[in-house]
Amino acid sequence: MKLRRLIDGLWISLFWGAGLLILIILVSILGYLLYKGGPALSFEFITGSPSGFPLGTEGGVYPAIKGTSCLVLIAILSSALPGFLTAIYLAEYAGQSKLKELFSITVQCMAGVPSIVTGLFAYALFVVHFGFGISLMAGGLALGIMIFPVIVVTSRDALLAVNNQFRTVGTSLGVSRWYILRRVIIPQAMPGILSGLLLAMGYAAGATAPIMVTAAVVSVGSTTSLFDPVMALPYHLYILFSHQISLENAYGTALLLVLILLAINVAAMWIRSLKGKGA
Amino acid sequence: MLNRRKQIANACVGMLCLIVSSCAVLLLLAIVVFMLQESWPVWVSQGFSGIAFSTNWNPLGDPPLTGIGTMIISTLWVAMGGLFIAAPIGFCAAIFLAEFAPPRLADIIRPVLNILTGIPSVVYGFLGAAVLVSFFEVNFNMASGESLFCASLILTVMVLPYIVATSEAALRAVPREYRQTALALGVSKPYLTLKVLVPLAKKGLVGALILAFGRAAGETMAVLMVAGNVLIMPNSWFSKGEPLSALIALELGSAEVGSAHYQGLFAAGLVLLIFVMAINLGLAFIRRDKKTG
Repeated sequence: MKLRRLIDGLWISLFWGAGLLILIILVSILGYLLYKGGPALSFEFITGSPSGFPLGTEGGVYPAIKGTSCLVLIAILSSALPGFLTAIYLAEYAGQSKLKELFSITVQCMAGVPSIVTGLFAYALFVVHFGFGISLMAGGLALGIMIFPVIVVTSRDALLAVNNQFRTVGTSLGVSRWYILRRVIIPQAMPGILSGLLLAMGYAAGATAPIMVTAAVVSVGSTTSLFDPVMALPYHLYILFSHQISLENAYGTALLLVLILLAINVAAMWIRSLKGKGA
Repeated sequence: MLNRRKQIANACVGMLCLIVSSCAVLLLLAIVVFMLQESWPVWVSQGFSGIAFSTNWNPLGDPPLTGIGTMIISTLWVAMGGLFIAAPIGFCAAIFLAEFAPPRLADIIRPVLNILTGIPSVVYGFLGAAVLVSFFEVNFNMASGESLFCASLILTVMVLPYIVATSEAALRAVPREYRQTALALGVSKPYLTLKVLVPLAKKGLVGALILAFGRAAGETMAVLMVAGNVLIMPNSWFSKGEPLSALIALELGSAEVGSAHYQGLFAAGLVLLIFVMAINLGLAFIRRDKKTG
């Protein structure tokens, strides 16, 4: 009996240890980044352009912030509507058909496609075949393909989470499915859908592999068009470190990137906790 | 009674949604077909075994050789190593969250998991390279600390949140009756968890591992920055290697379009894609069995 109790105690401390380890991991990552990157992060760092030789040893990351924002914008513009419509189909129109099952499995598979493979596909299709070149457009579309399944899954779950009674009541009142969707279900699912969009944006902002082969370069000129290459924060971080340009600025960039994504994530969690209209 | 115009509008919306989602399904098919088409010449000239099992990667030679066996081994080694470390920690943490954690602590840990998944892989890779690798160099007196083991450690941290979240859901899905019965029989809580709940949630736990394996195998930036990127057959966990994803990311920029090098990279991408898709399909079938059975 005593032995049994000892073993139980051992297991419990193991479980506690594993749970607390997760907290420790996050705290140490954030703490270490703050400690190392904090000094580099300043107003000039955010608003300045990279300078010095080799480029990036001094100056800031403003063009990279701008580039990342544009990439995310194109990604979300290209994939939000298709993703949302697919989610509506899966949640509202498909019923229990074989087709729905096929679509669900496909979306799950797309979510699992490694991001470098998405990049490879986008490189061959947009950069080479369509002749976009290494460009903002190609990178944005690559990110769009990457975040599409995220948008579908989060919107579908938000729609499915709406109380089914609204659908039953609507049907019994003889109102069309589209009307219930438009007036009741979508407004109620809105916080979930928006938080999913935010998460997708965060995912796109942090992705490096797809843009590394389709859009990002070490530095850009002043011209900006859809078919020019861009700088991007995650790629900038990669270059600063791997070409050993400036470890200090790399820590600053990493901290900035993590802070941006942290803000997006917290905002997404907060929005999801809100209640939709008419709930 | 619906009027006619509204009925038509309703049907149109349904139709539109169907068309858009069909396009999405076709997109996945298009990716596979396109990768196959781009890499077709090397499959023909070298055969399946010449690519997947051969260890000669010399795409610029004459004749060009595009064997990716070493990279496949590296990918598997890194991903399995990551899972090997992450699985025990992840399962214990999931059990902690589902059964033992005080609700308040659990409410802190769950968002923390979300935040950990939100940190981009390039940051994990950067921290791994800047901290872990130099740690190994200093403390173990290695010439350079980059190794498959480092990559596995980074992957551990990256897939841990997925394992914990999925396993916790599986444990929570076990019906309450089991818990009540066990407690009524006077069984201790760790005993109940290990001998009753874990076996019942086995399928879900295996699913969590498979999901994490797919993630780990496809991960690019983190392994690219810490695995060392040397084209040799890894002979231990602590040797360097170059996983498939790192190979593609590093060499695509310098490969001439249409050359054997370019086609070889697409073959590598296709192998990676099919491997990860097979994992996901397997997972989908496990989940479907659970629902019907």
